[in-house]
Amino acid sequence: MEHRKIRGNVIDIHVAIQGPSDGPIVLLLHGFPELWYSWRHQITGLAAQGYRAVAPDLRGYGDSDAPAEISSYTCFHIVGDLVAVISALTENKVFVVGHDWGALIAWYLCLFRPDKVKALVNLSVPFSFRPVDPSVKPVDGMRAYYGDDYYICRFQEDGDIEAEIAEIETERVMKRILTYRTPGPIIIPKDKSFWGCKDESIPLPSWLSEEDIAYYVSKFEEKGFSGGVNFYRNFNRNNELLGPWVGSKVQVPTKFVIGELDLVYYMPGVKEYIHGPMFKEHVPLLEEPVVMEGVAHFINQEKPQEILQIILDFISKF
Amino acid sequence: MDLTFDHSFVKVNGIKMHVAEKSPSVVGNGAFDGVISRPVILFLHGFPELWYTWRHQMLALSSLGYRTIAPDLRGYGDTDAPESVDAYTSLHIVGDLIGLIDAVVGDREKVFVVGHDWGAIIAWHLCLLRPDRVKALVNMSVVFDPWNPKRKPISTFKSFYGDDYYICRFQEYGEIEAEFAKVGTERVLLELLTYRNPGPILLPKGKRYEDPVSLPSWLTDYDVKYYVSKYEKNGFTGPVNYYRNMDRTWELMGSLSNAQVKVPVKFIIGDQDLTYHMPGTKKYIENGRFKSHVPLLDEVVVIEGVGHFLHEERPDEISKHIHDYFLTF
Repeated sequence: MEHRKIRGNVIDIHVAIQGPSDGPIVLLLHGFPELWYSWRHQITGLAAQGYRAVAPDLRGYGDSDAPAEISSYTCFHIVGDLVAVISALTENKVFVVGHDWGALIAWYLCLFRPDKVKALVNLSVPFSFRPVDPSVKPVDGMRAYYGDDYYICRFQEDGDIEAEIAEIETERVMKRILTYRTPGPIIIPKDKSFWGCKDESIPLPSWLSEEDIAYYVSKFEEKGFSGGVNFYRNFNRNNELLGPWVGSKVQVPTKFVIGELDLVYYMPGVKEYIHGPMFKEHVPLLEEPVVMEGVAHFINQEKPQEILQIILDFISKF
Repeated sequence: MDLTFDHSFVKVNGIKMHVAEKSPSVVGNGAFDGVISRPVILFLHGFPELWYTWRHQMLALSSLGYRTIAPDLRGYGDTDAPESVDAYTSLHIVGDLIGLIDAVVGDREKVFVVGHDWGAIIAWHLCLLRPDRVKALVNMSVVFDPWNPKRKPISTFKSFYGDDYYICRFQEYGEIEAEFAKVGTERVLLELLTYRNPGPILLPKGKRYEDPVSLPSWLTDYDVKYYVSKYEKNGFTGPVNYYRNMDRTWELMGSLSNAQVKVPVKFIIGDQDLTYHMPGTKKYIENGRFKSHVPLLDEVVVIEGVGHFLHEERPDEISKHIHDYFLTF
């Protein structure tokens, strides 16, 4: 595996690359609060099958640059980084695999630059989070539905959640989030009860080792969480800027997978969207969505071989 | 007179947009009304103008069977002018226009587009972001400017032309508005609309505007009164905010880096236009780079002896260019 810095949208992006240099590129986009490392199983699996797996740390994360201003984390900045990374590596279209925020960014990449994406495998976040009328402020809707302690609402105020996390050990924060399996919204009351008692250890599932946790902890301790949280602070601004794409369809062949216990599956309207006609209406080249039984949000880490196989089976068609 | 145009307001992209329209009159007993769909031309004005700048083309082309639609862009005339200075990026304006196109032809159809000055810049971005909504484009005065990570707009203008360059002078919120207020709306508009110097517009602080301005043949007292009435009502902040968002737009448009304009285009410019004399423009047109970024660039027309407001200076010629081109689709 190779680690490299590539010039993104006027910043430097760290990428992990593995696979033959002439292999078709598969761009793997992590979510929050993760890193390129979340794709470790798929990277080696794809490389072994002759693909060139490319997994960046998104802007604000890990070994990539993290600009200070919140306004530098709109979906346009992030897509801009990825367009630059793709262009630096190839003139051809690439395969894209996205999870969580990476999936949302992947939807936008397909909207803005269908000329860059051959096919898409998206995990967890469906296209129900598509551009709508900018007079709708998404965060206000979430606040009205779930209250002020809803994690996305807690993330809005600059410095707020960072201060709370600073009082909890980073290791506890990572373990708490990565092991979250409740099929419902993440509510973080201000009394810090969400993080559990200092004396209570958080047991790790079979698919997550102490070494894995240590890697995440080392990077997030170095970088902090602001970069990743700044993505959420641009929800309303993104919607304002996405006006040109209201009503625009995703014209890229797409495979969508979600875990049955994923908190996203329980967000308002999501189940109906995934199983109803609108998902296919907005993404005409969508294959039948897959709901994986007994699996929660971090699906690419919880079921690495199954997800790898789904990716390989799908992209081998193109 | 104004009365020959139909005026309406459309809710788009979170704002209320004023739209002027001139369409072929429907004659008949109504049996086929609405069944025959007429091609639509969307006209995009520049600075410091309004929908009104397109009056000649709208009259000429509607009589040839087109529905002609000309909005006041966001911040201008009778369209909303949001308070926040950062609500004037290209993404906002293109969002407005997608909403307008949806309202006029539904969300599946395409329109013809004609752009000039800022309207041309917006038209390039509209074609980059939503080529699926534009059938063909006639763009005027401002060539395509591909995104360049090394060329942040305002610092680039500053290094080329200095601090007195009008775009640099427009940056500080409220500053140029106060100066314009001192000079007077009519005088400011006259200076800008009659500008024929092929060099850059420089506005040193404390510049005096004392020499008499004579109206060119193509600008009447009535025209000036119309512009003045709208600009006096709303001021210059909305329009100037576009310039205040050039750097912001640049930051956002990195996602469209190296994207080609995939819409058929005819480009027209006057050889006395200040934009024609900006460094690199002539070469950009002549050495093939323009065509490499706009592969469907069908024709470039350079009109001799014509300045920046070419569609007002030579209305019939421009209307003919537009009709001749759109006929081929």
